[in-house]
Amino acid sequence: MVNNMPAALHEITKRIMANVVLIGLASAVLTLAACGSSSQRHPPRKQIRFWHMWTAEWKVVIDRYVKNFNNSQDEYEVVALSIPASGGANTKFLLGVAGGDPPDVMAQWNQIIPAWGSKGLLVPLDSLMTAEEWKQYQKTTYPIAQKIGTFRGHLYGVTTGVNAWACYYHPRQLREAGLDPDHFPNTLEQLTQWAERLNRFDKQGHLTHMGFLPTTLQMFVNLYGGGFWDAQEQQLLFATPKNVDALDYLTQYHRKYGFDEVLRFTSGLSTTGSSSGTDWPFISGAFSIALDGQWRVKQLADVAPDVEYRVAPLPAPAAGREKGGYGSGNFMIIPKGAKQVQGAWKFIRYVSGLQDPEVAGEICSWGGWLPLNDYVANSKKFQEYLAKNPAFRTFVDIVHSPNIEPIPPVPFQDYLYTRIAACEDAAVVRGMLSPKQALERLEDEMNREIKRRKALGYEE
Amino acid sequence: MDVLTRAESQSPRNYPIQPPRRSLRFRQALIGFVFVLPWITGFCILTLFPLIASILLSFTRYDIVSKPVWVGLANYRELLLSDPVFWNSLKVTIKYALVAVPLGIMTGVGLALLLNSNIRGISIYRTIFYLPSIVPVVATSVVFMWILNPQIGLVNTILKQFGIQGPAWLGDVRWSLWSLIFMSLWGVGGSMIIYLAGLKDIPLELYEAAMVDGAGLWRRTIHITLPMLTPVIFFNLIMGIIHAFQYFAQAFIMTQGGPQDSTNFYALYLFNRAWSYLDMGYACAMAWILFAMVMVITLLIFRSHTSWVHYGE
Repeated sequence: MVNNMPAALHEITKRIMANVVLIGLASAVLTLAACGSSSQRHPPRKQIRFWHMWTAEWKVVIDRYVKNFNNSQDEYEVVALSIPASGGANTKFLLGVAGGDPPDVMAQWNQIIPAWGSKGLLVPLDSLMTAEEWKQYQKTTYPIAQKIGTFRGHLYGVTTGVNAWACYYHPRQLREAGLDPDHFPNTLEQLTQWAERLNRFDKQGHLTHMGFLPTTLQMFVNLYGGGFWDAQEQQLLFATPKNVDALDYLTQYHRKYGFDEVLRFTSGLSTTGSSSGTDWPFISGAFSIALDGQWRVKQLADVAPDVEYRVAPLPAPAAGREKGGYGSGNFMIIPKGAKQVQGAWKFIRYVSGLQDPEVAGEICSWGGWLPLNDYVANSKKFQEYLAKNPAFRTFVDIVHSPNIEPIPPVPFQDYLYTRIAACEDAAVVRGMLSPKQALERLEDEMNREIKRRKALGYEE
Repeated sequence: MDVLTRAESQSPRNYPIQPPRRSLRFRQALIGFVFVLPWITGFCILTLFPLIASILLSFTRYDIVSKPVWVGLANYRELLLSDPVFWNSLKVTIKYALVAVPLGIMTGVGLALLLNSNIRGISIYRTIFYLPSIVPVVATSVVFMWILNPQIGLVNTILKQFGIQGPAWLGDVRWSLWSLIFMSLWGVGGSMIIYLAGLKDIPLELYEAAMVDGAGLWRRTIHITLPMLTPVIFFNLIMGIIHAFQYFAQAFIMTQGGPQDSTNFYALYLFNRAWSYLDMGYACAMAWILFAMVMVITLLIFRSHTSWVHYGE
């Protein structure tokens, strides 16, 4: 008996194990079947591959509207993929197109429409509209939203969120300096005077706090009534008197405090200097007045709900252009070679509000985004958002302006954008070149690029 | 069985006939070839084909998605005759190579000499100096952006203790390239380990003989250590120059070529031309000019090595 025990035990163990395995397998099969049946709320759908570059808090918004779109669909299902801009989103897109396997739709914000549009990488979205729809689009869409997405008469990108800039300010700091926050300056000259009263220095005379620091040349050239683009002649402009005035204003502003001193002050505010995240120096009070985009409204609500602030348009100089400035935006493109063009177009219409402004109004309210037309702006959900965030009204007001311009739509737009920044850097940040010299250098660089492209046979 | 009979029975004639030697060689070669076939396949597809393609593409206008269009020597002509950014990027890269490579060698050799001593805990010191070289370049770059921050960075904070107002480092045209050169010393531990291995290879009897002759530490270093280390220095010099000409990641992450193109390295400009401005043909021409330059410099160093590299013969 004792000798038989191990054999019997072994047999019993074997049976138990066999049963456990069987039960386990059966449960797994049943669970899988159950899962399968619960997710099969729709008939088999065509997949739309959607690439975007949003991360962190913005990705949450994307996932939310993708989910809502999918819930509304029996025909298509959007599969979203976040590829951070710094992770080579553009490169991945180009390789996808070259390899014949691009996404069906991509959300972008880079200076790519003229470059990619001129190379035939993008589906002209106006070709997906009826003549009546196209006419309606042109009639109702805000000017800047049209300019961002259009190249040589064709629409390549539908803007889902316009970017506009305005002055954020701390009313408390203004009051402390004896300024009235209820009457924000109406002219750039007055704003400059206010800023001087708001600056603070330490015992050694170093800046510890700035009233205001004007930057972004492409903003100021339009504000001064100039600009880099002659839309009628379809040509670039550089060292025009108004552009020189604009760059001179920015340069003199920095010169007054010392180029090195301003550079030292701004470098200490963040590692990259761009402060695109929640390390925005305005939140900590390093600036009393900060020129920044509408997305800060959401960031302030999320990370600094107790900060009291207001927003006003950047005032034009006395002889300038009212509500002039620079605009960019987030837009949707469909690459050539996309497998689900119609599905992608349906998704774009859903997100942008071309299909239902109420839906897009709600999406804009989640992301704190500026809509592309009045239909979306007047939607119920968006109006509710504006009631909760009155500061945002300033941006809605600005976005109507016909005086907001993007970077000129030339096929080498990204290069131009980079060199405009270098031009501003040379004159304004470092004082290496006079404003006129810096603009002339920019002109030389662009002329050389045009010549180079001609020599290589690019069709311009 | 006598000796002769035994010898005959063990002769090869009693064993199965051996296949001819040539066939054995062929079979061995075949087996060898099969073993290296995966590598050869990978090399042909991933290296040789792109290499040949890039030569051809350098004579075309090619934007990745459209078909390449033959433009002859136009890319090379534009680069060499009409592109100041190309010349500036070349200048920046050569300047970096001229300073960073010798500096890296001197620091690496110096550290190796120090860490070659027989003191307590030497392996810990070696580990400490080697560790930075295995930190990924992206992490190093981000950390250095903080270290070199003009307002709150470690370097300027230390300088401030001595009453020195540090510059804006990466943000200052005069200092940005020097900042990257200074940062390159962070990864010197990699070459230091090779120098250390080289030092261990120097025969002790050479030092003993020199000591008998009355040579002090300095003379032993100059007349034994450094000459015997020259093969390793030669290797690190070649590798250092190749790496310097391919310098990219740190500039891409930390400065994007700025300020005012002061850190617009050759490889960074090449990358931007290829992927930001979609001038792949132009970028391929740049790559082949770079290849030719590195090849010429390497050949020149190889030619010179007989006069300064000692192999202990």
